[in-house]
Formats: sequence, structure tokens, C-alpha cells
Amino acid sequence: MTHELIQELYSYFSTKSFIKAYKKDGKAVIGLLCNTVPEEIIHAAGAVPSRLIGTAENFELAPAKIPGWICNYAKRVFEDALSGKFDFVDGVVSSTSDDTKIHLFSAYNFYLKPEFSYLIQIPYVRDDLSRKFFVKELKRFAEKLSGFLQSEINDERIEYSISIYNRFRELLEVLNSMRMEDKPKLSGAEWMKIMQSSTSLLKEDINPLLEKLIEKLEERDGRGEYSMRVHLSGTDFHDIALIEMMESMGIAVVSDDFCTSFPAEQVNNGIEGIAENYLNQTACVLTSASTSIEERIEYIMSRFKESRAEGLIILRDRGCEICGHQCAFTMDAFRDVPTMVLDLDVPVTTEQYTTRIEAFIESYG
Amino acid sequence: MSESEWNPLGYKNLYRELFRKHLERQERLMKEGKKVGWFFSFSPSELIYVFDVISAYPEQYSAYCAARGSSVDLIDSAVGNGYSHFLCDYFKTTLGSLLTPEKATKPLMPVPDFIIDTRALCVAHHEMSEIFSRIFNIPKFTVTYPYWTKDSATNIDELTKIPERIEQSYVDYTISRLQKLVEFMERICNTEMDDKKFRDVFSTSEKTSKLLIEIAEMMMSKPTPGSQREIADLVFLGFFVLGSDYAYEFSLKAHKIIRERIKRREGVSENEKFRLLTFGIMPWHSLELYEYCERTGITFPINLYVNASLHLVDSKKPFESMVRRSLHFTNCSYDMMDGVVRNARKADVDGALLLENTGCRITSMITRALADTLNERLGISSLVIEAPQCDPRVMSMERAKTQIEAYVESLE
Repeated sequence: MTHELIQELYSYFSTKSFIKAYKKDGKAVIGLLCNTVPEEIIHAAGAVPSRLIGTAENFELAPAKIPGWICNYAKRVFEDALSGKFDFVDGVVSSTSDDTKIHLFSAYNFYLKPEFSYLIQIPYVRDDLSRKFFVKELKRFAEKLSGFLQSEINDERIEYSISIYNRFRELLEVLNSMRMEDKPKLSGAEWMKIMQSSTSLLKEDINPLLEKLIEKLEERDGRGEYSMRVHLSGTDFHDIALIEMMESMGIAVVSDDFCTSFPAEQVNNGIEGIAENYLNQTACVLTSASTSIEERIEYIMSRFKESRAEGLIILRDRGCEICGHQCAFTMDAFRDVPTMVLDLDVPVTTEQYTTRIEAFIESYG
Repeated sequence: MSESEWNPLGYKNLYRELFRKHLERQERLMKEGKKVGWFFSFSPSELIYVFDVISAYPEQYSAYCAARGSSVDLIDSAVGNGYSHFLCDYFKTTLGSLLTPEKATKPLMPVPDFIIDTRALCVAHHEMSEIFSRIFNIPKFTVTYPYWTKDSATNIDELTKIPERIEQSYVDYTISRLQKLVEFMERICNTEMDDKKFRDVFSTSEKTSKLLIEIAEMMMSKPTPGSQREIADLVFLGFFVLGSDYAYEFSLKAHKIIRERIKRREGVSENEKFRLLTFGIMPWHSLELYEYCERTGITFPINLYVNASLHLVDSKKPFESMVRRSLHFTNCSYDMMDGVVRNARKADVDGALLLENTGCRITSMITRALADTLNERLGISSLVIEAPQCDPRVMSMERAKTQIEAYVESLE
């Protein structure tokens, strides 16, 4: 029953059935290219925020428009966009979180010409001036969006949206704790399915489903037999098959730090609170008090410890500049724990990783 | 392809003089115990001269290593230490020189006391800066610049970077960061900024910037007066030494030479056959690429990479000028290429040679959109060559020549 419920949730990602229904009801869908875009504002405007996740395994159209060596996330999104899989999107929003996201935004606009687009300017520091600027920037975004949608974004609607999203975060916190149990009640692959499904439903629609799922999971016997608890590290990773393969080999994926997962910090106090929350995000950190590398390592370390992981597997997207710059430091910070780096490229053929994962488990599991 | 007489402007001696003066300054300041800063392209170079700091540039040093043949070993060294292959060549080369200095071209970059990064071009500068500051355990300062979209800036002149309209809140925030940068420099140098010097440096910068822009404009004359072998190096002035006296002296002389060349109606190629727009960071390991083309009658009246390094400085509005520096087409959304199209039309180009720099997301991702824009709006085709700026293994010169020959045949 629990398995079926998760599969049902995942089917909403695959079929986009909810998205289609929202469109039918006259709602606009705003595609997001980065997790640093505050969904609450889009939600408050009456639109459907949907993080775009591409599933292309082969690339026929994108290579004519963008280089083949850039990150898998961008390549897949762009291939799917060009092949019409994101035709439901009315507008696109991204942020200046990294070079690929910026230029993916530009390429998307240039070639797909959505009716609305906005690039949120993120300050790379967290001083008072930058915080104030970011609040102003989010208000500017809200104004442009409400102009496009012909809808008002007022304090009341923002507060309502925040409450919906905070409830979603609470539920994720519960689910996250379930996958960290001694006998994890939720697998890493199941967690990723839930995360992906959340991109294709309004949060007020997914929240009751998650509540139901939590009830079912509480009755579930957790997984007692596994050889190693592992934290997965990376950026816009979403290849469920690879996680399933790891778990079938005896690994329990108890935690991750992907930006395709969802940071659980609660938001307070209107747009100012939203700005504070998103500026402090560390899942794919750029802004920081010291350096983003320190902060990112601290973040990974805290998730690693909280989940009582025994090993770290870094899923390094060959074209990801954040992974590319930070991986060496992460490995160094985790030098006293079993660590392995898997270089990823699309298509992800799980077989090529089998031997390395087996060796990892044999050595440390 | 048949040979044509190659007739460069003769800037070689001017560059030699420029570098000599630059190095003399560095040595003098080193002896005086001044602070060393590492800077990247699009940083406000004027502050280097206002505060009398010794400047070093990872990008320029890496280009130097590539031209001298050491960059391959340095790139391998960085990758061997856990860094991805698909990162900026400049980063990998500089990092390699830190990890394995024995393999690096000498003189090495001076050890920095501080690092300045901006996002006036790329986030990669910010990421590199973090890593270098961590390695040296030194302070860094970041200036967040906006990436410009149609709703924040319109109708930007491609050379002067003067827009018709600009989002004031973005300008104000960037200025506030630049003012903080001045405070940071004051702390680093343990001195208050000399206002007169600030004005003087920006006055020099304004005069230099005017001359450099005019040189870029004159390059669009028919026949193309100069060689990209010389013009491409103007980025050193535009990016790194703008505000210095020696950059101004260079620009005065370079301006005079090209002006006289135009009066005589002489071109770099004896028989100009095709005029191509070019874009992309120079493959510093294969500097003869442009010369090879020019010797066969293919000239380059527009180099968008050089143009990106230019902006018209207004000494009465120094902070605004520093912000406008970021209004180059590579830092604007792809639907903002009107200025590029205008100049391409003005220069009457027949096609384009675009260099896709592997590892550089900025130059690589915009390349196809640029090619499509030139095709749609001017009906001209482009040749895209994969050309990492420091790694010759990916770009074989012979293959590039064959590609160029085939492309030129298609133009005939």
C-alpha cells in the first residue's frame, strides 16, 4: 500500500496529470530552473510553480544549441524543452546561482520564447545591504509576475502561501527523519520520487498525500538489513535508477544534499522572510558569511552526522561547475570516512558503476 | 588557400613597451612592500592604480603559460587533484601552477595578500576566488553584478556600454558593493583613499577608454586595417591596466598608427577576400590562427571578445562607469544582441568565426545563439570551432585550418 502510494505520487511527475488539470482550470505554470527561486511568491500570485526536471537520455536537439559538456541538468531540461515536453510552461524563472543556470535561462528564452521570464539576481554576500537588495529584488519579481498574471500579490496571499509551504517543509522533515531511522522506513529512491512528484503538484495538493503517506510509513517495518548507511552528495541530481541500484546492492541511502531535494527551514514574515530563507540556503550554496565551500562542507557534514551515515558517495556531474570546484575540498574534509566519487554523464548507465560500488561496500560495508 | 601579404599594424613594439612599464611598476611597488592583489577580468582595474597595489591576473598568467607551452601539464595537475576537467582553463592552469610550481612558466604569479572577484562576467570568477583565497588563507572581496535582461537594460551600445535605459535599483546595489570594495581596499592597504588620485586615475581611464573604443571602431573600416594577432591583446588594456598612464600612452600611439593606416587605405591583408566577425577567448596556445587567416585574405574587423573588454568611462561618474563595464553582450540575455548586429552590419561582415572555449560556460553557451542571430538577422553563416583557451589537445591547429578552408569555400 505504501509502495503504491509512492508510485502514485511519482506518476504525477511522469504524467503531469495535475499540471494538465491546473492548466485546464486556467492556471499559469511557471517553470523554474533552480531551487533558489522562491516558489512562495509564484504560488501567491495564483500560478503553479514547477521546478523543471528533464528526463532525456539521448540528445538530438540540444547539441545544436548548447555545448555537450555542460551539466546534465541543463542538457536534459533543454532537450526536453526543445522537444516540446515543457509546452505546458507559460513562463520561466531562474536565478544567478551559477553560470549554467544563467545561460540556460537565456537559451531557454531565446529559443523557446515563453510568455514570461525573470532572472532573479542573487547577491553573493550576506551583509545588510545585500539582504535589503534581495528583498527589493524579490518585490520587483513579484511585481513583474503579478503584471503578467494580472493578479495581485498582497501580504495576505504571501502569508497563506508561506503557510502552505511551511506545512510542506514540516512533512518533508518527518519523511526525512523516517529515512534516517536505524531501520529506514523510506528508501533514498522513494525519497527522490517524492521530491520529483512535488515539482508537479501544488503544495496544497501534495500535502494531504504526504500526510497519508506518513501514516502508512509509520506502520511500515523499516529496512533492517543493509551493509552501509550512505549520504549522497551532489547538485541537481535526480537519477532514481542509480539510487535504486545502490540500494539493491546493500546500501541504505539515508541522506543527501542535492538541490533537487528540499531544504526544510521554515519561512517567516512575508517577502522579507522569504528573502532571508532563500539567501541562507546551503543546499547549493553561493552566498555565505565566510566562503561557500566552508559552508557547503559544514552543511554536508551536518546532514551526514544527523543521518548517522557511515560513508559518503559524491555524485559528480562532469559538467557541473559547483561540483567541479568544490569536490576536492569535500573529499579532503571527509578524508577520515569512507568516500567515493562517481563521475556522472548522461545517459547514466548504472552498470558502469556496479563494480565500483561493490568494491566500496566490500572495503567499508 | 592562396597566400596574401600580411601587413600588421606593428603594435608589437608598443606591447613590449607596455609590458616593460607594467613590470617596472610591479617591481617598484614590490620593493616598497605594497600589497599584492589578484584580480579577474571585468574587475574595476582603476582601483589598482588608486591604491598602488601590485596586481596579478590568473587569466593573463594562464594565457602566458599556454603561449609558452606549460598549460597542459598544469591543467593535468589540477584535474589529477580532484578538480573537474570541464572547468575554466584559466582556473585549472593557475591552480596547477600552485599545486606544481615546478611545471609552471616563470615568473610565477606573486603570492597574493587579497583577492577581488566580481560576477560581471561569470560566477566562475567567484568560485575560483573562493578556492584561491582558501589556499592562501587571505581575505577576498566579491562584487555582485547583475546579469542584464531586457527588463533591466535596453538598447546598449556594444562598444561604449551606454544603455538607453537601465534598472536603477541594480545600479545602486552594485555601486554600494563597489563603495564597500573601496573600504575593503582601504583596510587592506591601511590607508584612506586619496580622492585626487581617484579623480586622476579615472580621468586617465576615460581618455584611454575613448581611444580604445575608437580603435575598435576604426577596425571596422574597409579594408580591415589591423591584425587580430595585435588587436586581440587589447583585452589586456581593457581588462587589466585601464587607469594606468602606460595604458594611455599605448592607446595614444596605437590610435595614431591605425588612423594613419586608414588614411592610406591599407589593410592587414593585401587582397581582402572575406571579412569575418570573431568571438571567443583567444586560444593562446595557437596564436597563429588569426595570422593564418589574414595571410589568406580573411580579415576580422570585429572581435566581440575585445569589444566586451571595452567601455566608455565617464570620470564624472566613476562608480556608474564601473557598473556599466558589465553591460557587455556576454553578460546580457541572448535576445539583447541588437548592438552586435548593428556593428556587424556596419562592418559589412561576410561571416563569423566563433571560438567555443571548452570549460567556459559564458563564451560557449552564447555561441550558437550568436550564430543563429547573425544568420536570422543578417543572413550570414558562422563557423564554430571548439577551442579551449589553454589546452591545445582539444584544438588541433591543422584541423582548425581545414575547417576554415571548408568554411571559406562555402562563402565563395
